[in-house]
Amino acid sequence: MEYKGWDQVEAGAVLPSFNDESCDIVNKKQEERNYADTNSYTASVADWRVFKPVFNKDVCIDCQNCWVFCPDTAIVSRDKAMLGIDYDHCKGCGICADVCPTNPKSLIMFFENDDNDTMLSQWPEKKKKEK
Amino acid sequence: MLEIRWHSRAGQGAVTGAKGLGDVVANTGKEVQAFAFYGSAKRGAAMTAYNRIDDELIINHEKFMKPDYVLVIDPALAFSADITANEKENTKYIITTHHTKDELIELIPKLKGKSVHVVDCMKISMDTIGRAIPNTPMLGALMKVSGMFDIEYFKNAMLKVLSKFPQKIIDANMAAITRAYSEVK
Amino acid sequence: MAEKLKLQEVEVWDGNMAFAQAMRQAQIDVVAAYPITPSTPTVHGYAKFLSDGYIDGEFVLVESEHAAMSGCVGAAAAGGRVATATSSQGFALMIEVLYQASGMRLPIVLGLVNRALASPLNVNGDHSDMYLGRDAGWIMIDAFNAQEAYDLMLMGFKIGEDLSVRLPVIINQDGFITSHTAQNVKPLSDDTAYNFIGDYKEVNPMLDFAKPITYGAQTEEDWHFEFKARQHKALMDSSKVISDVFEEFKSLTNREYKRVESYLMDDAEVAIVALGSTVESAVQAAKDLRKNRGIKAGVVATRVIRPFPIKEVAEALKNVKAIATLDRSAPGGTMGMLFNEISAALYQSESRPVISNYIYGLGGRDMTQADIKEVYADIVKNAKAGKLVTPLQQFSGLRGPKLSFFN
Repeated sequence: MEYKGWDQVEAGAVLPSFNDESCDIVNKKQEERNYADTNSYTASVADWRVFKPVFNKDVCIDCQNCWVFCPDTAIVSRDKAMLGIDYDHCKGCGICADVCPTNPKSLIMFFENDDNDTMLSQWPEKKKKEK
Repeated sequence: MLEIRWHSRAGQGAVTGAKGLGDVVANTGKEVQAFAFYGSAKRGAAMTAYNRIDDELIINHEKFMKPDYVLVIDPALAFSADITANEKENTKYIITTHHTKDELIELIPKLKGKSVHVVDCMKISMDTIGRAIPNTPMLGALMKVSGMFDIEYFKNAMLKVLSKFPQKIIDANMAAITRAYSEVK
Repeated sequence: MAEKLKLQEVEVWDGNMAFAQAMRQAQIDVVAAYPITPSTPTVHGYAKFLSDGYIDGEFVLVESEHAAMSGCVGAAAAGGRVATATSSQGFALMIEVLYQASGMRLPIVLGLVNRALASPLNVNGDHSDMYLGRDAGWIMIDAFNAQEAYDLMLMGFKIGEDLSVRLPVIINQDGFITSHTAQNVKPLSDDTAYNFIGDYKEVNPMLDFAKPITYGAQTEEDWHFEFKARQHKALMDSSKVISDVFEEFKSLTNREYKRVESYLMDDAEVAIVALGSTVESAVQAAKDLRKNRGIKAGVVATRVIRPFPIKEVAEALKNVKAIATLDRSAPGGTMGMLFNEISAALYQSESRPVISNYIYGLGGRDMTQADIKEVYADIVKNAKAGKLVTPLQQFSGLRGPKLSFFN
């Protein structure tokens, strides 16, 4: 965001969320919303990550656990169907992978510079229950 | 500038009396002040309240006062409080007591030679209002001693001040004022 | 719809009733308060008006003054007319939130009934609380009697809510000496008073769901300075609005207010600068001294304490030979606030009167006519000598050996 002088800043540091009227905002998808510069949605924290979650939709059961637990609302889910990770806002904390209940997990943490398709092709097998 | 000091116990209505007097006086176009010394005093503690009355806007906010009238509405305070503090040569005293004027002066020698008036506001308020609230009778006595207002004018003005109370209480207060007016000596 | 009260042309009100009536007439949306002596009757009186149907608004009784001011901040951010009242320790507990209110540019009005700060515990009037708040970014105005408390409370809403100001406003009055002293007060009718203030104008209300906003953002070294500078500029610029509102009030009521009040100053050679009810008492003393002793005494008072009227106060004092600044707050190891501010203002002008400082009236100690006349006697000596011949700082009305500093 561009720095402004004292005469340009909003009085009282009152910051708008959107650039236009937003009565029906809840029915708009994030990518359709006209976010203001002062909204944290426009800020990327991608470069915070050392590890990243990779999502395997073949294993996912759409339980929404990751969506509930993600502290940065970086899980993209529509109509209770898991779509993937919002890598602009994911900081790589790993909670989503931790709470994922499937076997094998549908979310696994890899190094940031690992290639997603390669990792998906090497996805672990289902573990057998130990007797 | 006319200055009045009330000696009272917290709860006996000196502040209400001072403000009531203020209300009446203000209606005549004069300027008034009514205030009191407050501490963290509880009901029953000795306290003082004050009035200033003048034709001009009152801008003096000192608490110190050389009173023209000292109104003592609790009988024991005539003995225990410093009722002659900062008196002037012609300060007039109106004291609530069951004693006669001569008996009282004998009991409180420092009052000798002063302009002393006595009235039993306690008995009057018990007889009329049914409670020991000696403030309104004292105002009746003050009207007699000072000649500040015609008593009928004063009673009419007090009706307005007391208008928030039930009729029974208003009537009792009017009776108390009238009795004190006629009984003060 | 709120009932209206028919007021008499002249009412006998104490300062608290004056505050409560003005707040009633302003038709405040939310009052959040935690009553404390000596401002309790302001809150009590307001709550009674509300429960008796004379106000359409919310009264929120909270669990502390910190919560009271927090409630006010929330309600003001939500988009309503908001006020509260407090004193002393309660004000001290509000301090943290006072900075939030001014930083968020919320035009809350606070009736501050001035009282000493403990310890020792004391319920009576001095200016310790007033002085405590002076860097909090609020407009601060001082009433010297009950009439002024009423008038300035009305004007406080109009000033703070002005679209070019949008800052919170403190209206001060002296605890007990003003707040509990009944005097003649000439009120406006309910309609006249409300129309003078006008309807509340919303700016960035949080309850506007079409425009979601964030109040209380965090800004670090890259943004904070610009926001605080803008806030300071708004406070400095509010002087004009304050003067305009004073002027408009005068045309309505014929009662005149100025950011710096001058009494008997046309030919004055010595002047007292003070705040609160002492201003009027000093005028009384000055009148007597002029009449009986031929002393050309005057009084100057900074009606508006923030934004401090530096130019106007220097102008008001430019022709005097000696000045006494009277501070009713323990200065905590330095000169009194008025001494410092008045000296600084005069240093920007050509005039160099002899200036000295008196600490007086702490914890409600009576400032008598005799005390004030002693101060005048001192500065008459300074004026005659053309230099300081009294100590720079003295305590007035204190028992024990004479206490003074920088002798």
